[in-house]
Amino acid sequence: MRKTAVLLGSALVAAAGLAFPGMAAAEERAVIIKGFGAKSGVVRSFGINSEAAMRAAADLINSKGGVKLGDGATGKMEVEFLDDRCTAEEGISVVRRIASGPALVAIGPTCSNVAEPLFGVLQKKAGDASDSGLQFPIFTDVAVKGGLAKISEWAFRNVPSEAQMYNSLFEWVKQTRPELKTIYAGVEENFAHSRASWYAVMKEAAPKVGLEVKGEAKWLLEDTNFSQQVREIKAAAPDILAIAAHPFTTCGVLKEMRRQGVKVKMLIGLTSSSSLETLQGCAREAEGIIIPTSFAPVTPEAEAAAKQAARFDGSLDLHSAAAYENMFILKKVMEEQKVMAKPDTVQADREKIRKGLAGLKQTDGLLGTIKRTDDREAIKPYLYVHAKDGKWAVLHNPLTN
Amino acid sequence: MDFYYSLAQIIGFHTLLGLSAYIVLQTGQVTLAQAGFFAIGAYVAGMLTVLAGWHLVPAMIVAGLAAAIMACLVGFPALRVRGLMLVIATLAFGEAVRLFFFNFDYQIAKGDVKIGPLGGEGFRQIRWFPENGWTSFEIMLFVWAVVALVAGALWWIDRSRFGAVLRAVGEDELAAQSVGINLTAVKVTAMTIGGFIAGLGGSIYAHYTTHIEHANFNVLLATFAIAYPILGGLRSVFGTIVAVIFVQGFLVEGLRFMGDWRNLLFGALIVAAMNLRPHGLIDAATARRLARLFGREQRRA
Repeated sequence: MRKTAVLLGSALVAAAGLAFPGMAAAEERAVIIKGFGAKSGVVRSFGINSEAAMRAAADLINSKGGVKLGDGATGKMEVEFLDDRCTAEEGISVVRRIASGPALVAIGPTCSNVAEPLFGVLQKKAGDASDSGLQFPIFTDVAVKGGLAKISEWAFRNVPSEAQMYNSLFEWVKQTRPELKTIYAGVEENFAHSRASWYAVMKEAAPKVGLEVKGEAKWLLEDTNFSQQVREIKAAAPDILAIAAHPFTTCGVLKEMRRQGVKVKMLIGLTSSSSLETLQGCAREAEGIIIPTSFAPVTPEAEAAAKQAARFDGSLDLHSAAAYENMFILKKVMEEQKVMAKPDTVQADREKIRKGLAGLKQTDGLLGTIKRTDDREAIKPYLYVHAKDGKWAVLHNPLTN
Repeated sequence: MDFYYSLAQIIGFHTLLGLSAYIVLQTGQVTLAQAGFFAIGAYVAGMLTVLAGWHLVPAMIVAGLAAAIMACLVGFPALRVRGLMLVIATLAFGEAVRLFFFNFDYQIAKGDVKIGPLGGEGFRQIRWFPENGWTSFEIMLFVWAVVALVAGALWWIDRSRFGAVLRAVGEDELAAQSVGINLTAVKVTAMTIGGFIAGLGGSIYAHYTTHIEHANFNVLLATFAIAYPILGGLRSVFGTIVAVIFVQGFLVEGLRFMGDWRNLLFGALIVAAMNLRPHGLIDAATARRLARLFGREQRRA
C-alpha cells in the first residue's frame, strides 16, 4: 500500500509538471522569452552563461521601463531557461513545450546538433500552408555551425561567421608570421561544430594563405586520454596547431602536450574555447593560444554587459554575449512591430517577431554594428584574443587596426 | 496540445525500441544491438523518403526489413555466445553500425543543394511529415497505430505456442533443448523480429527529428532499449509501454520544471522504481490483477 502511495505521489508530481508546461509564464502583459540549451553535460557552462546573460539583459531592460507594447502599455520581460541536455530529441521537445505556452520567442540552442534537427521541425517557408512545420521564431545565440538558419524562415542566428573570422585570422598570420609554413589540426570528431570548423572552415582557409595542411589528429568530446593523438601531433611537427575542440578536450590535449613535451610555434583554438572554462581548466598550458572571437570587453557597452552578467553568476563570452544582444534586438523588434503580448495575440505576435527579425539589415552589438544577411545569419565584428597570464587579452582588433 | 502530441510520439518510438528488446529478452538473451538496428531503420527510411521520394509507409517496411535482415545475420554468430559475452558482442555490433554511419556519405544533388547522409555531419531535412502537411495529432495517431500493431502482435505471440517456446528457452535452455527445441532457430527468430521492430522505430524517429547523425545511436540508446522491458517487467508487453511512459513522460519531461535537480533525480528514481517493483512495474501479480479487472480470468473460469 505504501509503495502504491509513493508511486501515485510521484505520478501526481509528474502529471503536474506535464500539465503546466508554461506555468511560470502565465501572467498577462508579461513579455515571455524562453531560453533553452545545454545545462548539463560537458558543455553545460554554455547554457549557464546564456541564461545569466538573458536574465541580465532582461533585468536591465525592465529597469529602464521594459518593452513598449503595441497599445502603449509596458511589457516586462520574463525569462525562463530550459535544459535540452544537448540532445536533438529533447531540444525538439523543449521547443514544442515552449511553443505550446505563451512565450513569444525562444533563444537557443547551445549545440549545433540540436539546432539542425530543431530548425528542420520548423516551417521551411513562412506562410506556406502546405508545410505543417512549427511556426515559432527561434533566435540562436550559441550553435555556430555554418549555414543553419537557411533551413527554416523561422530560424535566426546571431552567431559569428567562422569562415570570415578564420579567413581573416590566417591572412593576419601570413602577414605577421610569414615564417610559419605548416598547419596540423586536432579535431573533436563527434561534435558537429568542431568538425565543421576544421573541415569546412580552417582546412579550407589555411591553404589560401600558403599554409601546408599536414593532416589531423582526431578524438571525441567524451575522451579523456589523448596520448596517441599528441604523438601524432608530435610526429607531424607542424608550425601551427589548430585545435578544433571545446574547452574540456582542448585542455586535455594541451595538458598531454605538456606531459609529452610537444611544442608548436603557434596554437590556434576554436571560437567556443575563448571562454573562462579554458582558462579555469588549463591556463598554463593554453598560454599563447590565439582564438578569433566576437566578444571581448573592449568597448564601454561590452564592459558594462560583462559586469551585468556577472551579477547573475554568468560570464560573457562570444556565445553568451550573443544571448545578451539578442534580448535587446528582440526588444527593438517587438516595439517596431507593435507586439501586444496578450494571451489572444500570441501567434500573431510570433509572426510579427519573425517578420521583424527577417527585415533587419543591421543591429547594435556589444562590439559595434552587426550586419544581417538575407539568409537570417549575422556578420559580427570580431577580434583575436590570446591567453596571457591566465586571462584573455586582445591580440589584434581589426576594428581599430 | 502540440507538445503533448509530440511527447506521445516520443513515447511511441521509444516503445518500439523497448519492444524490440522485449522479444529478445524473452529468450533470456541480453542484447545491446537494438540501437544499431534502430539506426539502420532510421537511415534507410530517411534515404527512401528523402532521396527516392517514397511514401513513408513502404519506406518504413523496407527499413524494418533491412534491420531484420541485419539482425538475422548478426543473430547467427552472436547468439552462439551467451550472457556477458553476448552483451559485449552486440555492443560491438551497435558501435560498428554507429561508426559505419559516422563514415557514410551518400549525397545527391537536388536542385542547387546536395541532400543525403554526410558522415559525421549527419543527414538533415528528413521532412516527410511537415512537407506532406501532417499535423502533430495525425502523426501521433500514426505512430500509435504502429505501436498498437506491434504491441498487439507481440501480445498475440506471448499467448501462442511460439511465445511459450520463447519463454521456455529463456527459462531453461537445457530443458528446452531436451524437448527438441532448436535453440539457435528460436533465438535468431526473436532477434530478427526484434530487428524489424527496431527498424520501424528508427524510421519513425528519423522523421520525428528531421535530422539524424551517428551520435544519436550510441550505447546510451542501447541501454535504454533493454532498460524499458526490464524496468517494465517481462510478463507483458504493457510493462514496456508503462516503463517508457515512466522514463520519457515522467523522468525526462514531467520533471523538466525541476531544472538541474532533474538529472540528479533521474537515476535515483529509476533505482527507487526497481527497488519498489523488483520484478518490473507490471509484474506477475499486477498482470493478474489487471486481467481480473478486465474480466479475463472470470471468462477463463
